[in-house]
Amino acid sequence: MGILETRRNRLIEAMHAQDIDLLLLHGSAWRGDYLRYATDFGILEGEALALVGRDGEITLYVDDPGEAERATVECPDVRCIAVDNLVEDVAEVIRRHGNRRVGAGPSAHLPYGLTRQAAELRLVDATALLDRLLIIKAEDELDAVRQAARLGDEGYEVFRRAAVEGREDYALIAEIEAFFRAKGVDDNFMIIGVGGPEVRGMAPPSGKKLKRGDLVTTELTPCFGGYYVQICRTLVVGEPSVAQLEAFDIYKQAMEAGIAAVRPGATAADIARAENDVFRKHGLGEYVTSEYTRVRGHGIGLFLDTRPQILEDVDMPVEEGMALIVHPNTYHPVVGYMVLGDSLIVQQDGAEVLTRTERRLFAQ
Amino acid sequence: MRRGLMKWREDELSTDAIAARVANLRAALIGRGLDAFLCYTTLVRPAAVHFLTGFTPYWSDGLLMVGRDDSRPVFVTALSKRVGKWLHGVNPTCEIMHAPRPGLKIGEILAQRGIRRLAVLELDMMPGALVEDLKAADDVELIPGDDLFAAIRARPASSEIRLARRAQAIAQNAFEQLSLRLQTVGDVVGPLERSVRGQGAEECYIAVAPDLESASGLARHHHATPLAERFAARISVAYNGVWSRFTRTMRKGVPYSEEASAHLGDIVSSLDISRAVSGQLAALLEGTPVSIDFWSLEGPVGTRPLAQVATKDRPVEAAIPYGVLTLAGYDPGGRFLFSGLVIPGTAREALEAA
Repeated sequence: MGILETRRNRLIEAMHAQDIDLLLLHGSAWRGDYLRYATDFGILEGEALALVGRDGEITLYVDDPGEAERATVECPDVRCIAVDNLVEDVAEVIRRHGNRRVGAGPSAHLPYGLTRQAAELRLVDATALLDRLLIIKAEDELDAVRQAARLGDEGYEVFRRAAVEGREDYALIAEIEAFFRAKGVDDNFMIIGVGGPEVRGMAPPSGKKLKRGDLVTTELTPCFGGYYVQICRTLVVGEPSVAQLEAFDIYKQAMEAGIAAVRPGATAADIARAENDVFRKHGLGEYVTSEYTRVRGHGIGLFLDTRPQILEDVDMPVEEGMALIVHPNTYHPVVGYMVLGDSLIVQQDGAEVLTRTERRLFAQ
Repeated sequence: MRRGLMKWREDELSTDAIAARVANLRAALIGRGLDAFLCYTTLVRPAAVHFLTGFTPYWSDGLLMVGRDDSRPVFVTALSKRVGKWLHGVNPTCEIMHAPRPGLKIGEILAQRGIRRLAVLELDMMPGALVEDLKAADDVELIPGDDLFAAIRARPASSEIRLARRAQAIAQNAFEQLSLRLQTVGDVVGPLERSVRGQGAEECYIAVAPDLESASGLARHHHATPLAERFAARISVAYNGVWSRFTRTMRKGVPYSEEASAHLGDIVSSLDISRAVSGQLAALLEGTPVSIDFWSLEGPVGTRPLAQVATKDRPVEAAIPYGVLTLAGYDPGGRFLFSGLVIPGTAREALEAA
């Protein structure tokens, strides 16, 4: 059984369990995981809606003719239709299905043109149904995550070698993207930080040239076969200073403490606390707050930043079959923003760490 | 996500040019008795906010509100304050606010400013949850703003056309740098991506038709897929927020520029998209060894950077400030695909005069 068949079987089983006749899934290049779960289509331009029947029949509606052409080639077992008015055309199809219970998601992204007709179209929120399937992955999905992780490691090696003094940040990213495209990586979430203590985070490249002494931070998030895996590492252009090395050691301790806390039954808060306690022990507790950092890790899969967010106020339990990244990325007041993160799969006895790249402050 | 070069370049798109666009919008609001205009942005639907601010979000979403008075446009983003410094650096034309629920924040602003009649672009395509947040504001009438915006958006602007030409040139350079020893899809897409992003593009999507004799659908294929004797590739490029596409047909071991269809570039560049395309194409292709069985025209419409506005079987539905014309047909070598930039004749004349 292929990975797509596995997903569709799980989806149909969940629809039966919740007495849903028809599933309406929205997707775009910003948030495409619900759509991809059923159709395997990695949408780039415009938006799409898929209708999934309990009999397994799937129809994909896209509002961009070029994307319809691409979907026809890339997803030959899905019926794909280019429509002029995505909302109205799909609403009309749902109406024709008659007195059915239609699950719809993700709720945060469904177009208003559909949600305002929710009662008439008999739409019920199926976000939780899909979330559960997306978060707890089947074994062949986890194999895909492992494969993506290998590409993440290879990608960081390319990044590291390309990060030479005098190169612009966007040219560095061009090298990574070329490598990933040539290897069949569909997409990549990637931000970068270049500089010293003045750098407080990562963003898209702005044309900065790498110079000696700069910290170069990145999170690479290659997507292979639809599955995203992340790796976070920091390098120094030239030789690292003692202060940079000492600071990095704190991030390494924090990440390893976080990974050690991963086990079924632990909560996202437990993992975040394990990471943050290391910073607090070193007098850096201020720098694990939202003023300086967003999350201490998150779920990964068909979306690159899925639940659970690893934060001290998130009590969602960790379960076997989840894929996560643990990354205690934050600002350090002496050396600047540093990142370090490994992806992992939650197994019965703890974390199966996927990232193989050394946990060190690389010198270039 | 956007991961190419993103920076404010005053010499390419000036604050004055943006201010002129906003002034046009305000005049239209006043003319129609409306209080303000609202549009939504994500990396998928960034075009309207980019047109009015020069800003594209690399991630997350946001709302831009332009009032009829002289106050600065307000951009409310779900991106956190931690990226506030970056946002101010790449988006200097408006007041920036951070809110996890931009709809709620805009609702507050509507109430504070006494805005009652709000024109909204593509209301039905906005996320429903965000619109419900927006509607929490009392006594605000949401009025479709698509026609109002379209009238302003359709006017050609030299700054935008220069950026579109730059995007086109980036793609063309990438094709020119391709090796002649191409064997697989991976051999094409990797070098194209490196070249396009290395030239400062903000985004790059590549699709390939690896065997034009059997199928001409452009898609993302497995990197090890072998290339047939005749194949085609399309690069969709964003440069400083402005998009273009460049599609060319190639034969193994032969520069793309030697294909008969490559010379369509001259024909396409002489088209005037403010007039009917089919008749012009037929006249321009007469006597050439090229026949066309499909064409489509795309351009920036509403929030979409490029959306189809006409095809061979459907006349132009919306006026656009510039476009991308895609052609499919046969030349002496067989099936070909082609696309290139087209601009209205009046804009071309103005640019040449400048």
